[in-house]
Amino acid sequence: MNSTFKIYNATEVWQIETSLPSIPSFSQSLDKVLGNDGVQLGSIVELLGLPGTGKTQLCLQLCTSIQIPKVLGGLYSEALYVDTNTNFTISRFKEILFSSLSKCQQLMEASILINEEDALRKLHYVNAIGLEKFCAFMHQLPNLINTRPNIKLIVIDSIAFPFKDGITLKQRTGLLYRLMADLNKLAVEKQIAIVITNEMTTRIGLSSGAIVGALGDAWSHRCNKRLLLSAPDPLANVRLAVLLKSNNSPETVGKFQITQEGIRDID
Amino acid sequence: MLKLLKQEHSLLTENILKTFTQNRIVTLLDFLEEDVDKLSTLSKLSLPQVLEIRNHILAKYSAPLLNGTSLYVNRLTCKQFIRTGIDSLDEILSNGIPVGFITEICGLAGCGKSQLCMQLAINCVNNTSSVLYIDTKGDFSAVRIQKNLESCGFSHKEMAITMLQIKIIHIWTMDDLLKLFAELKNGILFIENLSLIIIDSLPSLMFQHFGDDNKIGLKFLNNFVNYARHLSKTLQIGIVCVNIQTRWIDQDLVELEDDNQATSTRETIYTEKLNRCMGKYWQNIPNIVLLLEKYQNSNENVFTINVSLIKYNNPHISKRCQLEVGMFGIK
Repeated sequence: MNSTFKIYNATEVWQIETSLPSIPSFSQSLDKVLGNDGVQLGSIVELLGLPGTGKTQLCLQLCTSIQIPKVLGGLYSEALYVDTNTNFTISRFKEILFSSLSKCQQLMEASILINEEDALRKLHYVNAIGLEKFCAFMHQLPNLINTRPNIKLIVIDSIAFPFKDGITLKQRTGLLYRLMADLNKLAVEKQIAIVITNEMTTRIGLSSGAIVGALGDAWSHRCNKRLLLSAPDPLANVRLAVLLKSNNSPETVGKFQITQEGIRDID
Repeated sequence: MLKLLKQEHSLLTENILKTFTQNRIVTLLDFLEEDVDKLSTLSKLSLPQVLEIRNHILAKYSAPLLNGTSLYVNRLTCKQFIRTGIDSLDEILSNGIPVGFITEICGLAGCGKSQLCMQLAINCVNNTSSVLYIDTKGDFSAVRIQKNLESCGFSHKEMAITMLQIKIIHIWTMDDLLKLFAELKNGILFIENLSLIIIDSLPSLMFQHFGDDNKIGLKFLNNFVNYARHLSKTLQIGIVCVNIQTRWIDQDLVELEDDNQATSTRETIYTEKLNRCMGKYWQNIPNIVLLLEKYQNSNENVFTINVSLIKYNNPHISKRCQLEVGMFGIK
């Protein structure tokens, strides 16, 4: 009888890890903080931040970045946006998408024309409001991925919103861990990048500061990369990104700005 | 439950077993529990013969009796520790990770638990044995291992040899973990020169059963503990489990006595309580608990973690040491 488990050795894992491409964020400083030049396929990244720090903007940017054509070293794939909070606006997405695409066209000297309608078709949007709808969708997500194998990025914006009400703390942790196990399995097996946004909350009396990520301490263990976004000066368009936790890169700080075209470096 | 078979004893024949089955004596336990006289009449064997079978079964299946001397000799000849290769850690562990017991690494999120596990994997392999890394949340990073080895001045060949000895397996449910351990126990899955199993992390499997009304999670945990102890004894390996810590905030009202005015003022004090996860059952299961605590450091590239050791078979022992984490790994 043969074992049902696949055992890798570290060299095989190393080959997989080094060969997997990443999704660039259009800001080199931010890419550097994330390590692997952006959000690597097969990994899960949690974006934390107060309202207005650019979580959704970064998600929209990643959804466009995944469409960069192969000639420019891009992934030329599709993205799935799971919206639990009606954060998504199509007009803003179009803005970022078309400015990013025109940048690509400039670089290629317009050798290939990118059809705007086709580009929009590469975003799959799901509006899952409410806990039941969200869980039902997450349950049939593997089937969806099977029918649309080009999806290489899943964005969940935000994970905390469906869990705000109507569930006990213990059940919430249990449910979240089950969802994450399925997601993680999907990410590793199908080599999909997963980006999750989370909100901030106040806990009075903590030794490490009162403002922490939502969903409690147990949740903070689950994601192996946590990126905290902050806007130190609300009037200046400067955002900071701090890597709070990472399994493979040092914990550093980066700077970026949000422009009309999306996420960009500060010149 | 084991079935009563013909091979059990020469006196048992097909016919006897058939009559037994008709009288609902199927398993060994049924046989042992049944009245001896009744068995004798059913099987048409004499009373001493039935007793002989009975004693034979009891002797074969009971737990063996060991005397103190052989236990001691066993202890002397067996491997007792797996050296971690980190000197200060080996010192507080008094030689290394104990064989035959469960060791726990515990700490808050991002305090270096996974980093320590990867370092343990590297260091144990250096002693020409292999390590099984059970990854339950995609934390294992071979790139990190390779960078670590590179900064320690390993050649490409040495790196490859080390990395070949680290085995990784992805497990997503408690059920799968138990299946894996069963395969290891039954020898279906065999890993050469295995010296250490690292489970990173157990709560991400256990928490999936959090908030259920049934006690299925507890059952899984119990089975896991039994398998883990059995494996670590028979294969002579160390078992390291990663556990997590959470914080509770308690609001205490403390009465402060003021000497001068003799009036008491009330002040709200928030106390932070650290809690090792996975419930009361687990609290005393690991023989040794290593509590990690991250220190804020002035140097950007290096941070310090404080390790304190708690021993559950001797709660009076508590030792501490400091480790440094950087691109070079853990020292």
